[in-house]
Amino acid sequence: MEQAALKVSSLAKSYNGRRVLDDVDFEVKRGELVAFLGANGSGKSTTLKCVAGLAEPDAGRIELEGAQLSEFSGRQLQLARSKAAMVFQKIHLVPRRTALDNVCAGALARVNSLASVSPLFFSRELREEAMGCLERVGMADRALDRVGRLSGGQQQRVAVARALCQRASVLLADEPVSALDPNAAEHVMELLAELAHNENLAVAAVLHQPDLALRHADRAIGLMHGRITFDGPVASLNQNVLDTLYSPERNAA
Amino acid sequence: MSIQTPPRPLDTALESASVRTPAPAKLPVPADPHRGRKAMLWGTATAVIVVLHLLAVAGTDFDPTLLVDGWQGMARFVSGAFPPNLDWEEVIKPGLDATLVTLWIGLLGTTLSIPSALLLAVLASRTTSPHPVAYQISRAILSFFRAVPDIVFALIFVTAVGLGPFAGVLALICHNTGVMGKLWAESMEETDQGPQDALATAGASRLQQITHGSLPLVIPQFVGLLLYRFDVNVRSSLVLGLVGAGGIGLLINQAIKSFQFDTMLTHIIIVLILIIVVDQASGFIRRKLAV
Repeated sequence: MEQAALKVSSLAKSYNGRRVLDDVDFEVKRGELVAFLGANGSGKSTTLKCVAGLAEPDAGRIELEGAQLSEFSGRQLQLARSKAAMVFQKIHLVPRRTALDNVCAGALARVNSLASVSPLFFSRELREEAMGCLERVGMADRALDRVGRLSGGQQQRVAVARALCQRASVLLADEPVSALDPNAAEHVMELLAELAHNENLAVAAVLHQPDLALRHADRAIGLMHGRITFDGPVASLNQNVLDTLYSPERNAA
Repeated sequence: MSIQTPPRPLDTALESASVRTPAPAKLPVPADPHRGRKAMLWGTATAVIVVLHLLAVAGTDFDPTLLVDGWQGMARFVSGAFPPNLDWEEVIKPGLDATLVTLWIGLLGTTLSIPSALLLAVLASRTTSPHPVAYQISRAILSFFRAVPDIVFALIFVTAVGLGPFAGVLALICHNTGVMGKLWAESMEETDQGPQDALATAGASRLQQITHGSLPLVIPQFVGLLLYRFDVNVRSSLVLGLVGAGGIGLLINQAIKSFQFDTMLTHIIIVLILIIVVDQASGFIRRKLAV
């Protein structure tokens, strides 16, 4: 059987003594889009943040492409982690720079540090690769526009292109469409599904709307109080499961 | 026979509205449980401020009657300045030349402090500093350069390089590093850390995160603060002229010492024009940048 691109086991995390992740196990394989569902505070964003290194887990194992992250430290850990790219709800591009420069910045891990202090020194090769990434998300014609001049949906596409330029095999998307209008949200979700299915990426997306998961994801993982309560194909994601995931009395904590 | 006018639509609308929405019911306002404490806080604050001002009045020999009694002295001084001496060869031309020197001192004092201010700002900003120790040390260095007035730096440098504009430039570099470094560090702490985090997850090094994630976000603020400091530094270099750092400040000082108040007035007018031009120019550039 094919090895999972992302394998998480026994992940645990507490904030100020409050358990936010409790014994979380899951896998994401190349070629599938997995939607993480759950009420606010269920731990779905924290899970992705632990994988990306934006939060420090208290316990558990994270494997990216077979590499066990806890075996690395410092610069080596950073490089091992760059196998996973993150796309954020708040996009986090630099608005004053062009889409092309922002996409090139995704490749910084493999560019010599001193020669990379300014976009002026990005090589022609890197720029051409970035153009290819922008083309892949349908934004090549806006490559030289400042990101601040693009719409929210266009900016999120550029952020996805930056992740592609990172040459990651795992794409972590933390509420990638929550700030977008329904139309733009639909397009970005289609793009993420295409990247999973056609480019063989492993995509893990935290979503707030179950209907987006039903339309675009292959599999869904449901979290409640930091525990996984559902893990299966979206086809089996019936109303009963959703009602339990989002039931107010169970999430009253 | 009178024709009855039908009620206008607005009247009917208002009438029916008043019928349908009665005034909301009234409820007693709950007593503020912190009322006594708030009143005491305000009272104490007022008392402290009043006492501080009384101490300040005593400490500065603040006495408006002295000003009223001594108005003739001031009048003599001012009337001696009118009309301003507009002699081109003797007054205006040397004044313009010296003004240019003042402008150059302000310019070099500002731009040559950019590298040191930038380095210290990056080290002294909580979001970009590599280590708490580096943070504390650079904060301390910035505080020192800010605490020592530029005029003291000028007096120190005069002993090394002699009287003249160069001492003024060196003095401004030192003081401006402290002020601009602090302002830049603060504006970096206030900006969105998101792009920096995003690059961190992409495996970018610390230096790359700063040059591609933090600095490009703060460039407009940096340039705005730089222009503001240029404005301030041009005015500081006037004062530095008084202690021998050259420029128009020196000429004003000489005119006063030799009782040529009409020459002094001409020079002050030139300075006024310089200040207005610099202020307008930096304001114009800042507005352009804000877009």
